[in-house]
Amino acid sequence: MKEAEVELIKEGKRLDGRGFEDLRSIKIEVGVLKRADGSCYFELGDNKVIAAVYGPREMHPRHAQDAKMAVVKFRYNMAPFSVDDRKRPGPDRRSIEISKVSREALDPVIMREYYPKTAIEVYVELLQSDAGTRTAGINAASVALADAGIPMKDLVSSVAVGKIDGEMVLDLNAMEDNHGEADMPVAVIARTNTITALQMDGRLTKEEFERGLKLAMGACHQIYELQRTALIERYSKSENKKEEE
Amino acid sequence: MYKVVVPGDFISEETNRAGESTYVEEGKVYATRYGIVDEREEIKVVALSGKYVPVKGDVVIGRIAEISFPYWIVDIASPYDARLHVSEFAGASDKKIEFGNMNSYLDLGDLIMTKVMNVNVLMRIELGLKEDFKIGGRGRLIEISHTKVPRVIGRSGSMIRMLKEKCKCFIFIAKNGRIWIEGREDDMNLASAVILKIASEAHTSGLTDRIADFLDSFRKGKGKGQV
Amino acid sequence: MGLEIVDDIRKDYVYDLVKSGKREDGRGFREYRKISVERDLIKRAEGSARVKIGDTEVLVGIKLELGEPFPDTPDKGVLITNAELVPLASPRFESGPPNENSIQLARVVDRGIRGSEAIDLEKLCIEEGEKVWIVFIDIHVLDDNGNLVDAAALGAIASLLNIRMPNERYGLTGENTLPIRDTPVAVTMVKIDGNILADPNFDEGNAATSRLTVISNADGTLSGMQKSGSGGLKEEEIAEMVEIGIEKAGEIRERYL
Repeated sequence: MKEAEVELIKEGKRLDGRGFEDLRSIKIEVGVLKRADGSCYFELGDNKVIAAVYGPREMHPRHAQDAKMAVVKFRYNMAPFSVDDRKRPGPDRRSIEISKVSREALDPVIMREYYPKTAIEVYVELLQSDAGTRTAGINAASVALADAGIPMKDLVSSVAVGKIDGEMVLDLNAMEDNHGEADMPVAVIARTNTITALQMDGRLTKEEFERGLKLAMGACHQIYELQRTALIERYSKSENKKEEE
Repeated sequence: MYKVVVPGDFISEETNRAGESTYVEEGKVYATRYGIVDEREEIKVVALSGKYVPVKGDVVIGRIAEISFPYWIVDIASPYDARLHVSEFAGASDKKIEFGNMNSYLDLGDLIMTKVMNVNVLMRIELGLKEDFKIGGRGRLIEISHTKVPRVIGRSGSMIRMLKEKCKCFIFIAKNGRIWIEGREDDMNLASAVILKIASEAHTSGLTDRIADFLDSFRKGKGKGQV
Repeated sequence: MGLEIVDDIRKDYVYDLVKSGKREDGRGFREYRKISVERDLIKRAEGSARVKIGDTEVLVGIKLELGEPFPDTPDKGVLITNAELVPLASPRFESGPPNENSIQLARVVDRGIRGSEAIDLEKLCIEEGEKVWIVFIDIHVLDDNGNLVDAAALGAIASLLNIRMPNERYGLTGENTLPIRDTPVAVTMVKIDGNILADPNFDEGNAATSRLTVISNADGTLSGMQKSGSGGLKEEEIAEMVEIGIEKAGEIRERYL
């Protein structure tokens, strides 16, 4: 983590005008892709992400099938044009780790036993990146899984907290992530306050960590409401449209 | 207006009535799927999406995908393929179906009306043939999500009866979302359009009346309806 | 598959033991297996350490090379961590490109070292924008009997503590050693049936659905965390694991570093 050469907090506000506990703006659209079984377009600040779910469908290779339940696959991928310095296409080590962490963030809620021997495939494509991409991906994937009709116990919501200029703040943007002292992505099942993903990068005291975790969990509740609303409204909107006609 | 729920939504505390697409935790019933709550008899969530998983007794339309003596492997629009044993073939009582001549009975791509005889723990699905199993000739196959089938059938068959009458078509709706239509070209076009419309508005109320109006105006307007 | 059936049987066995407050090898829930750290055993490497935790064995080697800095940090050296889960270490490891497990292992160890700023990367700069030292931390797993992360992380910091700068090889003069400013130690814990167990052995690692690695420094601050596994954790459980993590790291640091 770099030293704070850049002043990230001026007069109690962050450079983009947000307070320490403010989320960036979020936009959620459900069912945006025709071919996928479930999909979701998600914006978090300047992040633009699209998640698609295929499945349950036949699992290949056969020998990797699980006789008792579905196998969940998760692929996080960044489009080459999503970042300032063009990213070479294909999985890199960071994407592979993020894919694993994301899959494990959703595993606890997916009821895999309903579809033995199949694969449930989640694809997250990052179209535009501004830090917090894996959290946006997990949020989008949750909605896409619901849209695909995958049986789940809950939705999963995700956000990152971090430390900038000595302060714990919510939802770092790229500038803050690059020049800050710590970055901590978290995923939570809002209903039960169960944490399904947790990573920390940087340096924090135990107290800062605990404060950050609480902050993240609160924000995940907010995000959960937005995810839920997007799913519910998707059907009631067309209902209202019909009544108007 | 139906109540839409998402996975994890709390529905009720009547755990003894918990049914399809729900789970019970600490005395409460929660939804497992994105869909519409139906609390009339048991508490269940009618899913608005999801794959078809066959259940014993379902009548489905299958497509021959592979020939692997002594089975035809049949695609039934499910994550699982099903199989049809040669002995199930009704018309083969005298002649013996052999490795080499299976395709003369049922060939790749053929459509059949079939019944799910058994599904075992390993998801091995065995099919049986009905009397008039062969589907073909002048007709059309359309596919919708299996979750919309109940809506296309309607309460006590009210919707499907209206469709058959007003579209003047033979319509067979299978459990797996596959629908076979037979009739004149124009009539089949109308029937297809209406069925797809029902499928896309399955979650709304007052659908039956709206569809009836639509069909009437279509007829009156001699084919200039808005779909 | 044979391995899966064995897994299930052993999973039940572990659960039953934990229910009655016991572990397979008789340890307490917070107790580590026997640890041994042997340093400087690979002559060709600039630093090395062989760590054993119980039957798990990991060899870490440090190699230093000259190279160009990254464009956005022209005055800093480069740290690259890699892990190899070589086939001889386990019937489950196959040869081939790094899979998600070896990538995660490397990145978590890297996180701990980087977060603690144990290495002052600016001291690795020879010519700004042109020439810096690249430090390769290569983790070679030799025997996987559970908890590779802690063994690898311990091996990494132990090998870094006694680096011999290869100045001669590159015709340079300079410091012979690399000053290390902190000693991050990773402590991995799993949750089984509501209980927190530190240093999971192979069976315990498989039986558990949630796992948390806590990396802490000499002053009790945290420099890395990673939750893995298909389960979830409660806030209180995480708080407990952080406490245990900092405590055990202190013990391990004192005895082995």
